[in-house]
Amino acid sequence: MSDVTRSMRFFYHYLKRYKISFLIITIGIIIGTYFQVKAPIFMGKAITALAKYVFGLMHGVDDKGNFVHFIWLLVIYFILGAVGTFISTIVVTYVTGNATNRMRRGLFAKLQRMTIRFFDSHQDGDVLSRFTSDLDNISNALNQALAQIMTNAAMMVGILIVMFQQNVKMAWVTIASAPVAILLAAFLIRQTRKYTDIQQDAVGSLNGYVNEQISGQKIIITNGLQQDSIDGFLPHNKEVKDATTTAQTYSGMLFPLMQGMSLVNTAIVIFFGSWLALNSGMGRAAALGLVVVFVQYSQQFYQPITQVSTLYSMFQLAVTGARRLNQMFDEPEETQPEQGLTIPDKLTGAALKDVRFSYNEGREILHGVSIDVEPGHMVALVGPTGSGKTTVMNLLNRFYDVDSGAVTIDDTDVRELGLKQLRDHVGIVLQDSVLFSGTIGFNIKYGRPEASDDEMIAAAKQANIHDFIMTLDDGYDTKVTDENAIFSTGQKQLISIARTILTNPSLLILDEATSNVDTVTESRIQKAMDTVVQGRTSFVIAHRLKTILNADKIVVLKDGNVIEQGTHQELLAAHGFYSELYHNQFVFE
Amino acid sequence: MSVIKPHLRRYAWGSFWAILSAVIIAGASLWQPKLLQKVINAILAGNNDKVMSLGIDLVIIAVIGLIAGVLNTIFAAKVSMGMAADIREAAYRKIQTFSFGNVERFSAGNLVVRLTNDITQIQTLLMNVFQMLIRVPIMFVGALILALNTIPQLWWIIVIQIVLVVGVVTGTFGRMGKRFGLMQHLIDRVNELAKENLAGVRVVKSFNQETNEQKRFNKVSDDLNDQNIAVGIIFSIIIPAFMLIGSLAVASAIYFTGDIAKTHPGAVAAIASFINYLMQIMFAIINGGMMLTFSARAMVSLGRLNEIMQTTPDVTYKADAPASELTGSVNFDHVSFTYEGDDQPTLKDVSFNVQPGEMIGIVGATGSGKSTLAQLIPRLFDPQSGTVSVGGTDLRDVNERSLRKAVAFVLQRAILFSGTIAQNLQQGLKSADEKDMDRASRIAQASEFIDRLPERYDAAIEERSSNFSGGQKQRLSITRGVIGQPKILILDDSTSALDAESEKLVQEALNDELKGTTTFVIAEKISSVVHADRILVLDQGQLVGEGTHQELVKSNAVYQEIYHTQKGKEEA
Repeated sequence: MSDVTRSMRFFYHYLKRYKISFLIITIGIIIGTYFQVKAPIFMGKAITALAKYVFGLMHGVDDKGNFVHFIWLLVIYFILGAVGTFISTIVVTYVTGNATNRMRRGLFAKLQRMTIRFFDSHQDGDVLSRFTSDLDNISNALNQALAQIMTNAAMMVGILIVMFQQNVKMAWVTIASAPVAILLAAFLIRQTRKYTDIQQDAVGSLNGYVNEQISGQKIIITNGLQQDSIDGFLPHNKEVKDATTTAQTYSGMLFPLMQGMSLVNTAIVIFFGSWLALNSGMGRAAALGLVVVFVQYSQQFYQPITQVSTLYSMFQLAVTGARRLNQMFDEPEETQPEQGLTIPDKLTGAALKDVRFSYNEGREILHGVSIDVEPGHMVALVGPTGSGKTTVMNLLNRFYDVDSGAVTIDDTDVRELGLKQLRDHVGIVLQDSVLFSGTIGFNIKYGRPEASDDEMIAAAKQANIHDFIMTLDDGYDTKVTDENAIFSTGQKQLISIARTILTNPSLLILDEATSNVDTVTESRIQKAMDTVVQGRTSFVIAHRLKTILNADKIVVLKDGNVIEQGTHQELLAAHGFYSELYHNQFVFE
Repeated sequence: MSVIKPHLRRYAWGSFWAILSAVIIAGASLWQPKLLQKVINAILAGNNDKVMSLGIDLVIIAVIGLIAGVLNTIFAAKVSMGMAADIREAAYRKIQTFSFGNVERFSAGNLVVRLTNDITQIQTLLMNVFQMLIRVPIMFVGALILALNTIPQLWWIIVIQIVLVVGVVTGTFGRMGKRFGLMQHLIDRVNELAKENLAGVRVVKSFNQETNEQKRFNKVSDDLNDQNIAVGIIFSIIIPAFMLIGSLAVASAIYFTGDIAKTHPGAVAAIASFINYLMQIMFAIINGGMMLTFSARAMVSLGRLNEIMQTTPDVTYKADAPASELTGSVNFDHVSFTYEGDDQPTLKDVSFNVQPGEMIGIVGATGSGKSTLAQLIPRLFDPQSGTVSVGGTDLRDVNERSLRKAVAFVLQRAILFSGTIAQNLQQGLKSADEKDMDRASRIAQASEFIDRLPERYDAAIEERSSNFSGGQKQRLSITRGVIGQPKILILDDSTSALDAESEKLVQEALNDELKGTTTFVIAEKISSVVHADRILVLDQGQLVGEGTHQELVKSNAVYQEIYHTQKGKEEA
């Protein structure tokens, strides 16, 4: 229940600014419903008048006046009903469109403020689905359910009132079967939910199987396992077939069943109405009108029941969607001091001072690490996987904060600096380079969109990628995305180096790529790296021997401790872990 | 349609019942107004008995309609879901006949989407067809005939109504279809932006681009909103428009009945059922239009499945090729190979001979054709010219089973399937028992960590094999390769995640245990192939050198360049 209340609060938050719109919607719905409910009365009266007119004709009286009067009223009420519906639906369209848009924008903005910790601990797919399916579900529900539920509720109330005004006995007969219909609908909704869950599980495991098999098709072909793959597929496929058949039977049943109930109810109404007409001593013309009117009401009365039951699942999805969006909005954001200190525009030194850090409480990754870099120097971090190299990088520009100790730039704790200040000064080149959808130029100018084309080209030249870009038909205007294959992994890294060169940071963090790059690109990256570290203070997670040899200081990390530091010669002479690492890893003859 | 046709037979009875029940529903809906008319006539005539018996008829027909509705759903679900599953199975079986080239041309991800999302679309389409679409023409034609039959003089109201409704449907639904296309594109953009911001969150933050990213996103989001609202406006117009058309038709029907009643007094009793038929005609058109609009997507999906079914596998084996024990010799005779869609050949006129038991290293820069060359040996592709022979048999004439038994291929990216370790190893040798597994895992240096698992070979491998490290996966993958004691073993950069020590141990074990096996080692690192009997050097698809490490280091320029960039140590 708290789920629903929380969701309601979420919707209230986004919808409260549309109070006037809601007023208009409500008025539109009331007008629309009023006239739609009243129209059948005039239809009945028109038909009664028609019958009277025809009876009159038989007796030689040709008086159309009364009859035409009701037709005019009928037409006017129909038109006003349509106008009311039009007003309310068009306002609903604007309200839900804009509200959903604000949710989408808000969600993205929230994403930009959240901590790296969140992104590291959540799967991208899960976050993405909030942009797609959850927002979609909310938008659908708002768009359809909101107006429909209001309309249907109004309709239900209106019809009940009018029916009882018209004829109490007929009204009771018309609503008599409703409880049965509602119970049936509730049963079907429950079954549908149950079997849809089973269906989703079955479909999920089939998709998993198919995905795994076809992604591994090379193995299947080279081992001649095609028949085995089919044998494994068949039970999954059967399971999906059975599950979808059951689920679709229940969910598909709702509509025809409600329609059938409506048909049966109409039959009962006609049956009883005619009996009443003949046995209650009312005029035939009046009885005729009554039957026709209640046939209309019987159909109109069943419509909300059918609609609301189909909308119910939509509504449920929206509540889930709201809950999942709420989860995001509750996530902590990056913090910074209100009056952040600034860093002077000069070469800066940096230091880690007795830093302890853990990603998850109780599992400390760095156990009191101290590293000191002098302005303009380059430190190479080496050590086996899991030793904490990447973690050190994460702390320098406050992707994460230390548990104890401090990270300082020119003796100022990074937590006292403005975030923008800090990150303007600290540049990073990551192991996995990322390209954003847009042109190559956009990607190079990414950190400084205001940079001139000349500056961009200069940066690309320094990064050794200019020549390659010029071989492309559209040069710097070539469109790229992270996934399309214009660039190899190595070339992507060159682009990201150019990107960093252009922002001219004073402190640089470099994570060398370990992936296989061909020799030519490899040497280009090497040269670009050499260029970029010049005149800057830098931390490099080193994988290449050349880089390590170029460093002013080598820091060896193991299991979250600095176990050795010094120059290459010093460390070799110490015959410690580094020297062992050096001999094992880099020797190949 | 050709996708669905072959499966119709199996569901002939189910389809028959689904269609029959749909016809009954339509019949019941059409009959009710007619009975209403008779009841009204009976009321007007004051015939009490007639009213009673007609009332009972009405209820019975409605109940029959209700039961038919239930049956229709049951059969429609059975037939649609069954057919969808059969189509999926047929497509899956077809894919299993594909060559690797076929799979790559579609891309694995794309095939998966076709087998899942596209089938779901078709499934929904079939369900809609059996539940709704077949009813549309019956309702339309039936209501039309009955309306004309009820008050023939008002035919022109029917015609005007049909023209107006069809006009609104074609005018708006088509436009909406276009908008939906645009919307889908924008939704994809929203996804793309969100996705790249998630992937590049560190870059965004470290370049302080949060605000700019928001601007970029907001623009797309606003565009999407505009489309959403545009579609919404069309909807806001069509619903009242249909209401109006229907209402005006009703009003004019009543009005003109007044005139008709002068000569045909029976028209008064008929007016109620006439109005009902008018509504049924209108809804039939609206439903039909809606179904056609929404089935457009499913039609695309059908086309995409048809593509799978129409694809001819480009590597096929001769069914009459005799099974034989192939030896480990490999022969390339003037082999050239071009990937489809490339203008440049990946392999150019490559010739070499390998004797059984030799260890061959293959080196060259990325893109030089190493992996392509290796993939020709297990016949993942056929070369455009020249011949590849294994054990003296041209691969185009080889028996598939014999080739699979003779050649084992270990990929660069170790692919394991979820299940147990044993299940994965048995892919290399179906009959493998624990002894075979012990032997093979010792060679691949995998026994070291397998022995530490409490369930050993029964240990579970999770999806994406996330519970094993890169090095462990590669070792398991090598184990799978050697377990069948192949005549030819191809290691396509498959020790890249191993440290130098383990790599050396694997090579030594291969040397000792698989003496008679021809081994191809493709490597980025020269250190992986220095001990090979012979090394083939590839450069831009051409074989530019062949010899031992010592020979090549002296005489081969390409080899020397690779060697020098990797040998950092001397420069220290």
